Amino acid sequence: MIAQVKAELLKVRSTRTTLGLVVGMIALTLLIVVLSGLLTHAEGLSSKEDQLNLFGNGGVALIFSALAGVLLVTSEYRYGTIRPTFLFTPQRSRVLSAKFTAGLLAGLVFGAAAVGLALGTGSLILSARGIPSALDGGEIALLVTGGLAGVALRAAFGVGLGAIVRNQVGAVIGLLAWDFVINGLLFGLAPSVGRFMPTTAANALMGLKTRHLLPPAAGGAVLLGWTLALALVGVALTLRRDVP
Amino acid sequence: MTAVVAESLTKRFGSVLAVDDLSFTLDPGTITGFLGPNGAGKTTTLRMLLGLAAPTSGRALVLGGPYADLDRPALSVGAVLEATDFHPGRSGRDHLRTLGRAAGIPDSRADDVLRTVELQAAGRRRVKGYSLGMRQRLGLAAALLGDPELLILDEPANGLDPEGVRWLRDFLRAFASDGRTVLVSSHVLAEVAQTVDQVLIINRGRLVIESSLRQLTTRVGGTVRVRTPWPGQLDEALRREHLDATRADNSLLVRGADTERVGEIAFAAGIPLHELVTEGSSLEEIFLELTSETGS
Repeated sequence: MIAQVKAELLKVRSTRTTLGLVVGMIALTLLIVVLSGLLTHAEGLSSKEDQLNLFGNGGVALIFSALAGVLLVTSEYRYGTIRPTFLFTPQRSRVLSAKFTAGLLAGLVFGAAAVGLALGTGSLILSARGIPSALDGGEIALLVTGGLAGVALRAAFGVGLGAIVRNQVGAVIGLLAWDFVINGLLFGLAPSVGRFMPTTAANALMGLKTRHLLPPAAGGAVLLGWTLALALVGVALTLRRDVP
Repeated sequence: MTAVVAESLTKRFGSVLAVDDLSFTLDPGTITGFLGPNGAGKTTTLRMLLGLAAPTSGRALVLGGPYADLDRPALSVGAVLEATDFHPGRSGRDHLRTLGRAAGIPDSRADDVLRTVELQAAGRRRVKGYSLGMRQRLGLAAALLGDPELLILDEPANGLDPEGVRWLRDFLRAFASDGRTVLVSSHVLAEVAQTVDQVLIINRGRLVIESSLRQLTTRVGGTVRVRTPWPGQLDEALRREHLDATRADNSLLVRGADTERVGEIAFAAGIPLHELVTEGSSLEEIFLELTSETGS
């Protein structure tokens, strides 16, 4: 199993795909934090909720790590490497378990980069503008740990989604539509349902104070539930279906 | 122990019977050509042997058991199904290393097999810059990582230039000369005719013939074309030896005999010959005959 995880981690590192996602994520995080930190009026950045939202922009990592997870599975189907992969390891659940593990590890890196960057840049901007911090140590700790856990789980979530929808274009479009359309619409129109969507739950896990969000622990449980559900369905389908 | 056993292997895709009650056995130390036209069910059969597709009924055993039950199959079975199964942005060497890691094979082995297939110079380049022939060889390198005793290759000569085909032929001969087993599929008999010991020919999912290459050649028997100023007398002489001949002007087409036999009969009867040749690519003809007559 450890050998299989090493193989999966080498797959992640040996193409430029992951690096591209990390670079894109860092650029987007910086852009959003800098723009909202500089363009918002000082009174719009002084409350707990405002500052959490500013630092919470590291949450853009939630979509990037999920994409990395999706690509970890679907690029194998797209390029046919799934065949040699399963020829070398016919125990398909072992391959997927290794992908979940590699996804979680890669997700931690994504989370650390984005959350750290948002927190660091956001704090710099606040102190440069002379806005006092409204957050205590516990809230910042929750933002960091919840962010790391959420982003890592989202990578595993992506692996599960990719195992279900093996077509790369389909899986990527499905993920984007789920996050930006379904999740957004539901949370806007029916927050009592939308709060149980994966990305909203991940925001809750970071301790953001947006109205209608679940408490952090419940948000974490909901995100974990989604991830496990996709993982179970993904493994079951992978065991049953023929490899193309 | 038998190297490969197929027992009533059947695969149905919806209403299409891709593989239909296919049974065969491969003994260790042989090179078997798995032949049939495109769409005959060769790849589906190989996918079932290798545990990638589940048979609708029947079973496939590789080295004594189902492939999926082998713990580190790369150490005993090497297989290539598609020549293009690479991530274009990954180097050939990294492709081999990712596979090797999963099977606990050291990275140094990746360099060994790259040398074996003469790709060491391109190993650190991205696969997207590889020619089809290089990809074929990289696939073969992956199959060789675990130093297997059984090699299963699907259309390995596809896209190879003549030099590449010869390289492959020499390689397979050397591989099998150590007592190891090869199953190689092809839709072109000529590609494998000089390499294989025996052939399995399938068409429309069914086994048409399982025979040694020698038997197949004898069965073809060679059609011999012979030109003589005395065709009538030669026809009679052949008839006495129970050989059928078709006459066209001064030529006779003789089925079921080789040039030696026809020449000796003519000599014994004192008939002068102006020409004596084996007609066409007879193996190719029997292949076409066998694969078109069933089911149509």
